[in-house]
Amino acid sequence: MFNISKTICGVAVASVLMVGQALAGPYDDYADTTLVVNFPAHPHYDAVRKILPEFTKETGIEVEVDQLPYLKMRERQTLELGQDEGDYDLIAYVVFSKADYVYADQLENLARYFMNPKLSDPAYDADDLIDGYVYNIGFAGGNKGYLQGKTGSLFGIPYGSETSILGYRKDIFEKHGLEVPQTYDQMLDIACKIPELEPGMGGLSSRAASGHHASHAFLLHLAPLGGRVFDDSWNPIVNNAEGVQAANALKTIVDCGPEGASSFGFGEALGSFLAGDTAMFLDTTVVAGQIDDPAKSKVVGKVGWALHPEGTRRGSQTGGFGIGIPKNAENKEAAFLLMQWLTSKKGDKLVALAGGNPSRFSTHEDADVNAKFPHMATFGEALKHADPDWRPIIPVWGKINADLGTTLSKVLTEDLDVQEALDGVAERATAIMEEAGYYTWNK
Amino acid sequence: MALEEKQQHPGFYAILTMLIIMAVGPILMMLINSFKLDVDIISGTSGLLFMPTIQNYETALCDILPYEPEHLDFCALKFGGAFINSLIIALVSTLLTLVIGCMAAYALVRFRFMGRDTASATTLMVRMVPPAVLLVPVFGLWNNEFCIDKASWLGSLIRDNFGGRGDVCLAGTHSGIILIYVAMNLPFVIWILQSFIVQVPRQLEEAARMDGAGPFQVFFKVVLPLIKPGLAAAAIFTFRIAWNEYLLASALSDRDTKTVPILIVNNMSEFNVEWGVIMATGMLLAIPPIIFTLFASRQIITGMTAGAVKG
Amino acid sequence: MSTSTSFNRLTPYVFLAPAVVIMALALLYPLGYMIFGSFREWDPSQAMGESTYVGLKNYITLWNDPNFRESTFVTLKFAISVVTVEMFIGVGLALMLDRNLRGMSLLRTLFILPMMIAPVVVGLIWRYMYHPTLGIFNRGLKGVGLESVDWLGQHALLSVIIADIWQWTPFIFILALAALQSLPRSALEASRIDGATGWQQIIYIKLPLMMPVLIVTCLLRLIDAFKVLEVILVMTEGGPGLSTEILALRISRTATEFRELGVAAAMSNYLLMLLLFITVLMLVYNRVMEHRAARASRMIEESD
Repeated sequence: MFNISKTICGVAVASVLMVGQALAGPYDDYADTTLVVNFPAHPHYDAVRKILPEFTKETGIEVEVDQLPYLKMRERQTLELGQDEGDYDLIAYVVFSKADYVYADQLENLARYFMNPKLSDPAYDADDLIDGYVYNIGFAGGNKGYLQGKTGSLFGIPYGSETSILGYRKDIFEKHGLEVPQTYDQMLDIACKIPELEPGMGGLSSRAASGHHASHAFLLHLAPLGGRVFDDSWNPIVNNAEGVQAANALKTIVDCGPEGASSFGFGEALGSFLAGDTAMFLDTTVVAGQIDDPAKSKVVGKVGWALHPEGTRRGSQTGGFGIGIPKNAENKEAAFLLMQWLTSKKGDKLVALAGGNPSRFSTHEDADVNAKFPHMATFGEALKHADPDWRPIIPVWGKINADLGTTLSKVLTEDLDVQEALDGVAERATAIMEEAGYYTWNK
Repeated sequence: MALEEKQQHPGFYAILTMLIIMAVGPILMMLINSFKLDVDIISGTSGLLFMPTIQNYETALCDILPYEPEHLDFCALKFGGAFINSLIIALVSTLLTLVIGCMAAYALVRFRFMGRDTASATTLMVRMVPPAVLLVPVFGLWNNEFCIDKASWLGSLIRDNFGGRGDVCLAGTHSGIILIYVAMNLPFVIWILQSFIVQVPRQLEEAARMDGAGPFQVFFKVVLPLIKPGLAAAAIFTFRIAWNEYLLASALSDRDTKTVPILIVNNMSEFNVEWGVIMATGMLLAIPPIIFTLFASRQIITGMTAGAVKG
Repeated sequence: MSTSTSFNRLTPYVFLAPAVVIMALALLYPLGYMIFGSFREWDPSQAMGESTYVGLKNYITLWNDPNFRESTFVTLKFAISVVTVEMFIGVGLALMLDRNLRGMSLLRTLFILPMMIAPVVVGLIWRYMYHPTLGIFNRGLKGVGLESVDWLGQHALLSVIIADIWQWTPFIFILALAALQSLPRSALEASRIDGATGWQQIIYIKLPLMMPVLIVTCLLRLIDAFKVLEVILVMTEGGPGLSTEILALRISRTATEFRELGVAAAMSNYLLMLLLFITVLMLVYNRVMEHRAARASRMIEESD
């Protein structure tokens, strides 16, 4: 009897062990794999690097990070993704690279992975990801090829989502009894008042340097003021009244901005706000961490946050990065596991607490995150107004973007006429679009 | 020379002092700022009143420090590794350029191949080619054409021993960058060394040959020791170009073979302009050339003037 | 005996072979490859074989491209102004400092420092000095109560030119000084005995005799001015607008950012042709001047 029970016990233990083996954790097969990932030099991904040791501890998968400035990162990826076998297992891509990579068939369609019961985490809760960003960054093949639509599918997951937000100096606004601007008119008005009220201080610091920066700053104003780059049949309309208004807004901001504003890149624009040389800052949400860092900032605790002011509509930026798996990667499944871990509820919260930009609704509402970063609620609100059609994400955008940026920079520094400048951009854009075949169906 | 006995005018010394400040001042400023925290740099107290810190250097060199600096959450800037890459690339390419260039210069002078004019003309022609012009072809060739199939025995040997994926190409390797640097510097080195080899007396070589030395022995035992000053000048110039070059290296290197200039340009990332760290990395990159200049300025000037003034 | 002679006959080839092989492989072949590629539409992810032949299209597009023209114009403006200013300052300093000073060698050492350090570092030093609020220039201007200047914005090209002058004037100074010190003393002595003043000596004797060296120096510097890239890349990245986008920078942007290797190759070819033209022009001019200088020194010797 005693013996039998002992035997039963033994069998039970053995069977538990066997079941245990059959139910090996999802990560066991990939322990000791080393993933090579390509990330941008960006505050969100700095935060990601802080939480990666946690992933390695939990899964046994090592991660080697190659971090580059994002334009360099894009160049590197162009080269790596074009080869038969690439170095990178997981890449973070800038939102506008989506078009190039998907069109060139260089990113894995994620359906296969989410269907795989061994890889896909049932608790992942994809509905909690912020819709606008999933469509903007991860989705391809829908309406216009880059928007949400019935024909689209998922190639990446937003990670490091940004939107535009207005930061303002609470102390300065209080001192002069200024209202936090709700509309564009109010904002431009205050931006030009500041230099009079506070001699030596600029109104709003914006990026404006030639190329990508100037173009980005212009787009920031284009959507809220009701403009678009293309109409529905791909004809450039940057040079319409709204476009001109947006360019004029940019010019006003730069003219009333801090010293040297016309050559500011993002870093200089932020630097000027951090040094206390400007009263307002209208750009991406990633800056919050640095503004609260006493080693870098002289305005700790003096900054309030508000939604991107309204023009004819709300339309804040959709931007930032997504992560995807290259077609030529070596360890695709392990890469998917990392991707899933990073964008899971747990990973999203961890990265938010480390100073990153969460991509989930739940994280924006999370009590711990809000306790640590009180601005998170405003940021979550801003994300709801993010405009998925903020810029056209098509393969030729890079070229049009570069031209737009250089031309606008001439408007800012060489007093080129706004209308004339934008007409030129539209004309060259038409030629580029024509060559790329966007007008084939008009004939 | 007419003025040599005269007492110099005090204004002359004032101008001289100003010139020295203008030449060296910016470099000193970089040195000072590399010891400042970012807050000290932006706070505007431009003077010397600050607490010097080596924090910036710790940030830069975090991957080769034996301890983990407290102010860092993780090591982002792998400057130490890049420094080693730069050293390998610069030293090997200098050595190769010198050996190969020396032999070629010797052949051109002693065996009367082409006239010195042909060599000078070639040098000038090659010097005329900007690195930017080489960018496109070198990028294309090194990445796509100068490759060994990974299925071939040599290719699989390399992949098995050194890891990595895909075909074995020159791009992304130290050798790839070294090859282009050697090619770029060779004409100049040949040109300079020629002017030194011409001055080696023939009788010495013939005497050695009488004693039964072969051409290689004559070259290494007799000629080389006599042209040491020329070699020094050529070495410094080659090293300087290989050490400082950015464009081609950035097109050819991958994540493991980045050199220091690439890292510095990359680190001027738009999201985070950390002047202190940038100045520290700049200083580290500038130190070897500065040391050379201080200890071998005579050779440098010889090298610079050899071409234009005597040639 | 016969083996040793054949060895001797082969020796020069053995000595030359490595250099020839390397230069053929890594200079000539790439240049040919570039010319071949400039007639193709070619993407960085393609091997040359996969690209399509488009004839002169790249060249024609560039010729009509206002941006390319502006870039060429900026390059010429940059190169010509830096070389002119550097020649004047460099030669001027050489004439001024051509005396037996104690510590002259230390002075020369300090002067060559700027051109020995990496262009990338030069770029970042100047970018910092030009910084609108942190930089030493604007702080200085503010210190004496003047308006600050938007160096890298409104005056970007000028700022870049100043940085290049800082870095490269010493080159001309050193070469001019070397030329001065190798002048025939007899000519100078003779002119002094004839009662020439310092200025007369400079204008009628020193400068004409230095001329061949100065022309070569000028040519070398001019060629190098077309190669400048890193300093501008770090300081302005070609902006604002295209105001500092020299051709070298535009080539690299076209290749890496716009991913049009064929166009970049055609642009490289245009740049190369421009440089070739300038070099040949200067060399021909130099020949003429050498003849004149030779005649001049002969005349001086005769009059001696």
